[in-house]
Amino acid sequence: MMNEDKVHEIIQRWRETPEDLKPEDYQQFRDVGAACLSGDDGQQLLKFIQDEKNQGIVKSMGCGLLAPLVDELVRNKKSHDHCQTAITQLTKTCSSRTLLESFLELIEDLDPGAISETILVLLPHLQIVLLQLDENRAAGVGLVLSALHKQLSRLPVPYTQQQEEADEHGLCRSCVALATFTRPFIDGVKKKDENCNPTPEDEKLKAEILKFCMLSLKEPLLEAELNQDRKSTLWLFAVEIMVILPAIKESLPGLLFFSSLRKSTSMDTDLSKESAACLAYLLFVQLIAMDTFPAVFSPVFILQCNMEHINQLLSRKKESHLLKGLALFAKSLEKVEDNSLPVGLLDLESFYSAPQNLRQVLTNCPIQHLRESGLKVFQLFINKLDAEAKHKFFRCMLKTSHHAGVEGYIVNNIRSQIQSSIKGEANKWFLGMELLPLLELVLSLPRAAETDLLTNMDKIMESLNLLRCLLMKDKEMKSDADIWEELCRIKDEYLKVLRVCISMSRAYYSAEMKVLKEEQKLRVKEAKDHARSTRLLKTITVKNDKVTHMSPEVQFQVLQSALVTFDLMESLVVRIDEITEETQGKTH
Amino acid sequence: MTTDQFLPMDDKSATAVFAANGIDVTPRKDQGVFKVVRRQGLDGDRPMIGDKVTVHYTGKLLTGKKFDCSWERKEPFCFNVGKGQVLKAWDIGVLSMQRGEVCSLLCKPDYAYGPTGNPDKIPPNSSVVFEMELLNFEGEILTADGGIMRRIKVKGEGYSNPNDGATVDVHLEGRCGDRLFDCRDVSFIVGQGEDKGIPLGVDRAMDKMQRGECCLLYLKPKYGFGNEGKPEYKVGPDKEIVYEVTLKNFKRAKESWEMDLNEKLDLVSGVKTKGNQYFKAGRHHQAVIQYQRIISWLELECGTGMEQHKKIQDYVSTAHLNLALCFLRLKEFSQAVDNCNKVIEHDESNEKALYRRGEARLLRNEYSLAMADFQKVLEVNPFNRAARAQLSSCQSKMKEHQEQEKKIYANMFQKFAERDSKTGRMKRRKDESTRSGMNGEVGIKRRRRSQDCPS
Repeated sequence: MMNEDKVHEIIQRWRETPEDLKPEDYQQFRDVGAACLSGDDGQQLLKFIQDEKNQGIVKSMGCGLLAPLVDELVRNKKSHDHCQTAITQLTKTCSSRTLLESFLELIEDLDPGAISETILVLLPHLQIVLLQLDENRAAGVGLVLSALHKQLSRLPVPYTQQQEEADEHGLCRSCVALATFTRPFIDGVKKKDENCNPTPEDEKLKAEILKFCMLSLKEPLLEAELNQDRKSTLWLFAVEIMVILPAIKESLPGLLFFSSLRKSTSMDTDLSKESAACLAYLLFVQLIAMDTFPAVFSPVFILQCNMEHINQLLSRKKESHLLKGLALFAKSLEKVEDNSLPVGLLDLESFYSAPQNLRQVLTNCPIQHLRESGLKVFQLFINKLDAEAKHKFFRCMLKTSHHAGVEGYIVNNIRSQIQSSIKGEANKWFLGMELLPLLELVLSLPRAAETDLLTNMDKIMESLNLLRCLLMKDKEMKSDADIWEELCRIKDEYLKVLRVCISMSRAYYSAEMKVLKEEQKLRVKEAKDHARSTRLLKTITVKNDKVTHMSPEVQFQVLQSALVTFDLMESLVVRIDEITEETQGKTH
Repeated sequence: MTTDQFLPMDDKSATAVFAANGIDVTPRKDQGVFKVVRRQGLDGDRPMIGDKVTVHYTGKLLTGKKFDCSWERKEPFCFNVGKGQVLKAWDIGVLSMQRGEVCSLLCKPDYAYGPTGNPDKIPPNSSVVFEMELLNFEGEILTADGGIMRRIKVKGEGYSNPNDGATVDVHLEGRCGDRLFDCRDVSFIVGQGEDKGIPLGVDRAMDKMQRGECCLLYLKPKYGFGNEGKPEYKVGPDKEIVYEVTLKNFKRAKESWEMDLNEKLDLVSGVKTKGNQYFKAGRHHQAVIQYQRIISWLELECGTGMEQHKKIQDYVSTAHLNLALCFLRLKEFSQAVDNCNKVIEHDESNEKALYRRGEARLLRNEYSLAMADFQKVLEVNPFNRAARAQLSSCQSKMKEHQEQEKKIYANMFQKFAERDSKTGRMKRRKDESTRSGMNGEVGIKRRRRSQDCPS
């Protein structure tokens, strides 16, 4: 530590020869300032900065004080006023360029524990500095925004309502402050747009602000849980972003629907895809800015465009993304008339992959409420397809899903389509020649007689049920002799294999059951003997390693219920045989 | 240009007023859309189907209530006309307008918001009136680089388009300036138009066309006959050409999910050979299409048994490697890197994938990443002399780059000022490095042919 005289001496030298300051001087100036602050002498530092005689020094070296001042502000609420005044004084005296440089450095190495606090302190001053900048303001704004966003993206996005209200890490507050921060720049651009042709500099500024909006849409908005009824801080931030976009002449239809042909911007494609998807969600689901969105697009076109966004959202395995994807899917479908989507739409890439991603959610997603709402959307999608499109979609799902649950669900849908076409207008897709290839897919066992009946149970039961219904509607079905004949052939073939399969499975499971019973008897005996238990347990593991982790009682129940299932299938097969005989009796 | 004189009124009187002053523009003449011209446009200058049109409009209910207005948003509205993107009445109405025309359209619910209306804005079963000004229109741009522009003369039917591998029957008329150089009926496979002397642009436009469509395609040289021209048609190098194409019929190729694995495996080797032929002939775009088909078919297959699994894996990684090579030639470096990554995911010591990724990264000025790749290549195969040569070129480029960086960071604000000039310079430098890379390649090719050929 230097004594007071020494400091005065140095300051005197700085005052006299401001032209030959060395790097050591900058460091020393900074150290003295920092020492002042840590010694609770902030007041004195402020006086120094404000002193007319020191303006030369402050002008050239003042920026060095920013970091300690900001640090002090964040740490120590007591010194708030004079630190603020000091920074304000610096922003008036120092050159804007060096100020900006210092601020950027400051942002780059923010203390991870005080990100939002520091940002909130910095923003008003940064705004002044940037507004003072005459040249390259756009580039400056861009650098500042992306640096700030980078820091904010390190903060966790609140998951629950409580977390969002508490805003422990200050993300929500900072976002809103950031939106306020951009306002004067946007107003400037807007004014110029109204008056005359914008300069290249204005265009650059718009591009930088757009980039910031897109970044914010991805982070934190895509991650956030938003709810129209609960206008949370992040919801308000979303509104801000949606107001900024039209203000910088970025039309929402352009960003959402016609983006693929836009000249490639500096953003990478994944970012802009995810951001656009979030934008679509905010507009169509949260209805933010919906009143400024043109009301003249056709619902099918909106669905078609949104399908890209839906696909993007559903392809990620994150709850927040899936939730948004499902909501956007449902909303886009609701506007479309039932039975109206033509088959040609299914040729579009996104109309293939979005339902496939949805199917993944149904079969693989561990979160129950997503699976439930997913199933609703899945049915809604089916309802909107016209007959030919349904036919194609069912075929596609039966071929690609490899999941008995989904297949069973599709078979169920096929049955209701057949029933409604019997009742109403006959169409060739569900009551004519075209029904047969579909039935062939339904009435097939993936591994013939060796099919695992238990994993495929859902599909088999639905298929048998479908067969039963078809045969009971024999009057309608027999109107075309060829179709009836072919149907009977497919049915006979299927039932033949299924019968073999059932009897093989039953034999296997009965044998297992027998073994289990024997073992239990042995074990009871053994328990009496109190001996040699280890060796016997080992035999169980060897014999049936699939179920060894279950207790014998559970194993017994499993085997029992398997046998019941086979009985159930068989009784359905028998019932179908009976109906067949009855209908044949009628014709002869 | 105001029509407030007509509003508000009921459905009947509105129809009467519009019928007296205007014309029914619906094709079926069912009085679904009436048009009253307020200001004549340029005679005969009408948009064509698919054109990107720019309009200003106000939408009102018959009560006079405004429900949507682009003038208030201070932002003209753009869309592709005649393609079902907007209300039916709009597609019909705008196609009937001339450049600069101002008109009012009375639209019946069937042509507007239908029986459901639009929540909060339009009650069910409402007729609506649009005031409309056609500001501008231009052909539809089909590719991001603007190399293909389309204007549709006759609209096709439905949504279905020919996909890659589809068989199409078309009528073609190719023109260069006013001169007709090609006029014929021809059938070809999408992705392989090259074989029938059909330029890339026509081939690539097929998957945007519907059955029965007749359109004009304006092709930049890149999508026409390039810098070679086409002597048999007497088309010189770097010429812009126009094709009139009628899609008479087509049969889509099966989707991947419609084929079973054996079917795919039967076809794959043929597709691969086709791709290699195109590559050898320098038709990289066409080669890409073929290799990508292989990936779309086999990407998600795993086959039964180890042998089949390996066969599929081999096809897929070869296709990725070949794609990487194509994209290197096309200077699409990030796509080249992506394809190499796909291979490296499965096989982290794949020499070719590492080498090609290194090349791509070097050309993207990612020196240290490129270096790591070439070093990895040498770990896998210490005798790869090409990689050694690349490594030293990496080092020298890196040094050069570091000096540059130092200068730039010396003063951040100089960086702002130099930003523009720098991008120019970087571009130039990239070109240079590409060029020297290619020269180097000739030498390398002699030593290590395998790295540079599709396999």
